[in-house]
Amino acid sequence: MTEPTVVPGEEEKSTRRRGRPGGGREGRQAVRSQVKAYPPYITRRIRPVEILDEAGLALIERNADTVLAEIGIEFRDDPEVLDIWRQAGASVEGQRVRFEPGMLREIIQKSAPAQFTQHARNPARNVEIGGDHTVFAPAYGSPFVRDLEKGRRYATIEDFRNFVMLAYQSPYLHHSGGTVCEPVDLPVNKRHLEMVYSHMRYSDKPFMGSVTAPERAEDTVAMARILFGEEFLDRHCCILNLINANSPLVFDGTMLGALKVYARANQGCIVSPFILAGAMSPVTVAGTLTQILAEALAGIALTQLLRPGAPVVFGSFAAAVSMQSGAPTFGTPEPSQVLYGAAQLARRLGVPFRSGGGLCGAKIPDAQAAYESANTLQTTLLAGVNFALHAAGWLEGGLVMSYEKFAMDVDQLGKLQKFAAGVDLSETAQALDALREVGPGSHFLGCGHTLANFENAFYRSTIADNNSFEQWEAEGALDAAQRANAQWKKQLAAYQMPELDPGIDEALQAFVAEKKASMPDAFV
Amino acid sequence: MADNDDDLVLSELPDDELVEQMHADLYDGLKDEVVEGTNILLERGWGADRVLAEALVEGMRIVGIDFRDGILFVPEVLLAANAMKAGMTILRPLLAETGAPPIGKMVIGTVKGDIHDIGKNLVGMMMEGAGFEVVDIGINNPVENYLAALEEHKPDILGMSALLTTTMPYMKVVIDAMVEQGLRDDYVVLVGGAPLNEEFGKAIGADAYCRDAAVAVETAKSFMYRRHNMRGGMAAQQ
Repeated sequence: MTEPTVVPGEEEKSTRRRGRPGGGREGRQAVRSQVKAYPPYITRRIRPVEILDEAGLALIERNADTVLAEIGIEFRDDPEVLDIWRQAGASVEGQRVRFEPGMLREIIQKSAPAQFTQHARNPARNVEIGGDHTVFAPAYGSPFVRDLEKGRRYATIEDFRNFVMLAYQSPYLHHSGGTVCEPVDLPVNKRHLEMVYSHMRYSDKPFMGSVTAPERAEDTVAMARILFGEEFLDRHCCILNLINANSPLVFDGTMLGALKVYARANQGCIVSPFILAGAMSPVTVAGTLTQILAEALAGIALTQLLRPGAPVVFGSFAAAVSMQSGAPTFGTPEPSQVLYGAAQLARRLGVPFRSGGGLCGAKIPDAQAAYESANTLQTTLLAGVNFALHAAGWLEGGLVMSYEKFAMDVDQLGKLQKFAAGVDLSETAQALDALREVGPGSHFLGCGHTLANFENAFYRSTIADNNSFEQWEAEGALDAAQRANAQWKKQLAAYQMPELDPGIDEALQAFVAEKKASMPDAFV
Repeated sequence: MADNDDDLVLSELPDDELVEQMHADLYDGLKDEVVEGTNILLERGWGADRVLAEALVEGMRIVGIDFRDGILFVPEVLLAANAMKAGMTILRPLLAETGAPPIGKMVIGTVKGDIHDIGKNLVGMMMEGAGFEVVDIGINNPVENYLAALEEHKPDILGMSALLTTTMPYMKVVIDAMVEQGLRDDYVVLVGGAPLNEEFGKAIGADAYCRDAAVAVETAKSFMYRRHNMRGGMAAQQ
């Protein structure tokens, strides 16, 4: 808020004009231009939708135990992990590890937290991961970006920073995310430094670390030690990290390397089977759920063996491939069923759950994008997802991060946040006084209850145009993507960098510079 | 805030500050304060037409701008319009005495077969907020009701609304009856309602289709301006 400028000699006059509670035009404009406080994460006041009954869940769990005991999981290129499993009592043959029924669940339930706090450098932005809470984070991992003017192109570090800034400003994104787009212009071995620094510098929301190599994970942890302090970092989760299973039934050396670094540093791992059903899992929902549970149990248990009590999340990314073309599809019914089912399995296991987002296969922010994303986003919330990656910007199966789609998705997230708050049954909300005042006929637009409550009564979309046809036409007949285009530009132009202790900033920059200087650029 | 309330005595403000305060009070929908301000200006010897133009109409113009820009909300604009109407109630008889040209008078009603009236009521309130005198003849009106109201109230403007495609053709029935009786050119006919459009308004012989309450007010004002000019011109020729 800017302070009102007082012109000498006019103090008295302006005081008088602000003498009444409403404050006239100045007062109202000031109130309406204020950025409203928003909760740092969602607390759901509606029960999650459950599509499997007790017998169904028990069946999937039994089948997952069978898969783990009979077929097992491959842990590739990491002898240390194989030793850990051997010591824990699993049967190890080559890189294949088999588990007695119930063994992994027991390891997990002994020490994995059901809910944990991920700390942000601004404590007001700390998020709760687990329980009745939902955290929305931007899309992750796109090599391309797209906007209306410049079209589809490789992402750069500038795009990366832009999306960090946009997420920072978005009231309904609770998290800065991780690889919000892949800065393809930077050397592969140095990208992570700029990405992690961007999250730390341009946002004060919680963020995700680099997982593309163990040493990059180590760099992330080292930078977080500078930002949060070494002792604090060891005792608190300040970095969340995406560890994908290489489905079916494989964890590879890269992911295991990152998992080990983060779990040992007491930082959060999201162990996510990455499934395009039909290709990477059976074509059925029950078969896919069985595989997801088996893979997740193995990865989650490993974090607890590395450091009991380390924060960990049961992840699931599940789409389906078209049996006609082999292309991935999104927003379709079967992956939604997988999502609901996996959420139930995670709750039974007693760990937080990550899935969903604004997923779609559309190339541009069109009707396909909107329908498919709305389907997945609704499912995400109703299933009770605790951490929703890919909640904003996702296009083209994740190949593209779209500026316009980002703005459109954030609006949807706002709607979900309001919906999740549940139904207010307070005396004010019961509105009997409004019903008494207005009576039959007439209308509620001017009654006292409306005047007292209208402002926050209904979610106001930032994207939708609900004006008359004529007004819409007079304003250029813009479609949703065009309106979103104006919005993200306005938002970026208004961006103001959050404060960061200059000493910390210098130390971070020095770390990045030193690391960069220590190795030649590599593009492989 | 409460302390400041006590400090603010309208009658102690010089004219320019009082007018500014009235703009703020209109904006905040403070009916009693607007009435008080109106009376003070009249006591100070201001003509009713000047109070109307400089305090009330100007105040509502600001309200209209902020409504258009999404700063003010419908319930707030209704409150402001209500405060304006209260001020107008004082000024209207005085304006009539001086023979100053009135802002305008409108008969408004929903057509036969149609019992929807929230939209029509909103238009009525916004028109009153802009200083128009509004006679609301309610819902489900046959031709006879419209003709009788025109006869009785002698408005400048007839406003008709319909929410259904099944009832909107009745607007043409009313306009045709006005043509038949040679009354059509005596009135500005404005039509509105969700299923209408510009083309429909023209096809049935209305002067304009108004897509929402704010546009209705703007359209009515511009027609009144033209009528005043026309009348002025005719008077000059005589």
